[in-house]
Amino acid sequence: MIRLEGVSCEWAEFAIRDITLEVRNGDYLTIVGPTGAGKTLLLELILGIHYPDKGRILLDGVDVTHMPPEKRGIGMVYQDYLLFPHLDVARNMAFGLRYRQTPGNENESRVQRMARLLGIEHLLHRYPATLSGGEKQRVAIGRALVTEPRLLLLDEPLSALDWRNARRLRAEIQDLHRAKKLTIIHVTHDLAEVRAFGGQIALIDEGMLKAQGSAEDMLRRPPTVFAANFFGCVNVYEAQCIEDSALVQSGPLKAQRDGAEASSRFFIVVHPDEVTLLPSTLEERPNRLRGTASSLTDEGSYVSVVIDVNGLEGAVVVHTNRHTVSLLSLAPGSPVVADVGENLHVVAE
Amino acid sequence: MNVESPIDRSAGHRRFNLNQTFTTLLILLPFTCVCFLLRRFVLAALFPVVGFLLLVLARPARRHRPDALLVAFALVGFVLLLFLLLPILNLLLTTDGSRILAVVRDKSVDAALGVTLGAAMISTIVALAAGVPLGYVLARERFPGKAIVEGIIDMPVAVPQTIAGIALLFIFGRGGVLGAPLYTHFGAQLSDTLWGIVVAMLFVSTPFVVNLSRDGFMSVDPRMEYVARSLGASPVGACLRVTLPLTWRSLLSAAIMAWARATSEFGSIIVIAYYPKSINTLMFEWYNFFGYAHAKPLAALVLLIVLAIFITLRTVAGARRTVHTRNQT
Repeated sequence: MIRLEGVSCEWAEFAIRDITLEVRNGDYLTIVGPTGAGKTLLLELILGIHYPDKGRILLDGVDVTHMPPEKRGIGMVYQDYLLFPHLDVARNMAFGLRYRQTPGNENESRVQRMARLLGIEHLLHRYPATLSGGEKQRVAIGRALVTEPRLLLLDEPLSALDWRNARRLRAEIQDLHRAKKLTIIHVTHDLAEVRAFGGQIALIDEGMLKAQGSAEDMLRRPPTVFAANFFGCVNVYEAQCIEDSALVQSGPLKAQRDGAEASSRFFIVVHPDEVTLLPSTLEERPNRLRGTASSLTDEGSYVSVVIDVNGLEGAVVVHTNRHTVSLLSLAPGSPVVADVGENLHVVAE
Repeated sequence: MNVESPIDRSAGHRRFNLNQTFTTLLILLPFTCVCFLLRRFVLAALFPVVGFLLLVLARPARRHRPDALLVAFALVGFVLLLFLLLPILNLLLTTDGSRILAVVRDKSVDAALGVTLGAAMISTIVALAAGVPLGYVLARERFPGKAIVEGIIDMPVAVPQTIAGIALLFIFGRGGVLGAPLYTHFGAQLSDTLWGIVVAMLFVSTPFVVNLSRDGFMSVDPRMEYVARSLGASPVGACLRVTLPLTWRSLLSAAIMAWARATSEFGSIIVIAYYPKSINTLMFEWYNFFGYAHAKPLAALVLLIVLAIFITLRTVAGARRTVHTRNQT
């Protein structure tokens, strides 16, 4: 288990401010945030490259705040692989074994086993300069895993790969995580990766931990407006409390206040994926929004429809499919009903 | 200096297309030199022009004709190369071999060569031992005042040699700030000893070691060292197993340049240590007392030795290598 307690650090133009975070053994934590949020610095703090100005880092209950990286047993994989160019793949992978208490002949079999697991056995005698991006990243992951680290840090490991390779390697990392019960902290700014990996998500911006939770919660019910915007819940409406009830309202939308205090500001968040488009002839119901489609954009796997709703400040964005669009004969200007139903939640700030 | 910038390499496809024109110019260089040395000046001047015209006329349909501006620059550079090469070639080619052999047998030459080569070697080793770590610090760390440090490192290049000698005497001379206590306590003396020559050489060759080793270390991504550390290597281990294997060519270049600079030092050496006579001092003496014709075979001999060492080491250091640039996001 790794635990960060109030960790702060400034390094070059990056900063981490008062981050408290916990990852249990065997968990998969994805750290997301915009570019320059301090994600890589956070990983390098955990790794021990930089020491925090304030706060503590605990590894399995032991204070490692000022322990040098070589004593921590944490593996690191960077986006640009950073294989040692003067060593072949086998010697790259065996690099860390010299520092482990293992007999010499076992080293070779360990490298062999790891190479087989990652499907890079045939590359063992090649030099990094001759490998493709996907192969390099497999070697980098293998090099880190051969030493059996108690924690594996991945710094945007897929972002330098083309999407086919990235998707395949993503699946392989997930398999490794499950099969070897690895504890992994994975940094990315790619939402597709966040969705695919699941597990826990920590959202970081300007060096601060903005939100943390399970992938399902963070993506479907983001706890803050910033998180909602970051994860693509673009439908955010400021709402007012209705007197003498546990409801908040924004135009025609009503939602449960979920016990939040009446003194805070309320926002109603609607995920574009969770709205159903219906023919405009349907009867009125709560949270069934009547409006006109103002634009349709084909995004490849879905169609994004922007709807102007009567009485609601700001448009509603709905992700639907081509079949629905043709069933409803949707075109800019056509009337439509956007059925939100219960698929909305309230954020208090 | 043989440190190729990554930019040169990224423009590789363009260089390939320009190759022929420029290589032709390069091949013409020795012919032109020889014409000059034979005092056939018109022919020498015509050589590159005619050769170049022939090249252009012979291949009128070349798809990638080099940029006229670049060709003009190359022609100007050609003259500069001639300027550098002619005096050296002239000295080597026009000196009587038997007179060089006579000089080799001269005892005083033997001793002076030993002094110069020995002192240059010692000063290079000291410069490496102290300058490479500083180069590493300058490559890895950003700190306020770094520009000042780099300015101090470059300063000896700008200080005239005789001034350097006089300034060093006030510190290391027998009455100097450090020289006086060294003499009274240890009986050690730098003026007019081999160590004085080493100190003078060290002063002028340090910039090369620090700057070239810094450039070498900068070409290794520090995150490469982080990865090595995460795998269990200590800071020293990461340096020995990752950084050094990736930078030894740069360090060798640094050593070569420092050694070459040390060997060529004269001005500050005659101020600090006229004796033991180093080779440049001896040559100066011969030139001064007997004229330049007398000094010529000695000059040719020293040139041969220095060039042989220089070219050998540069060939070792100059083989192609990969450049690792930092790519932080």
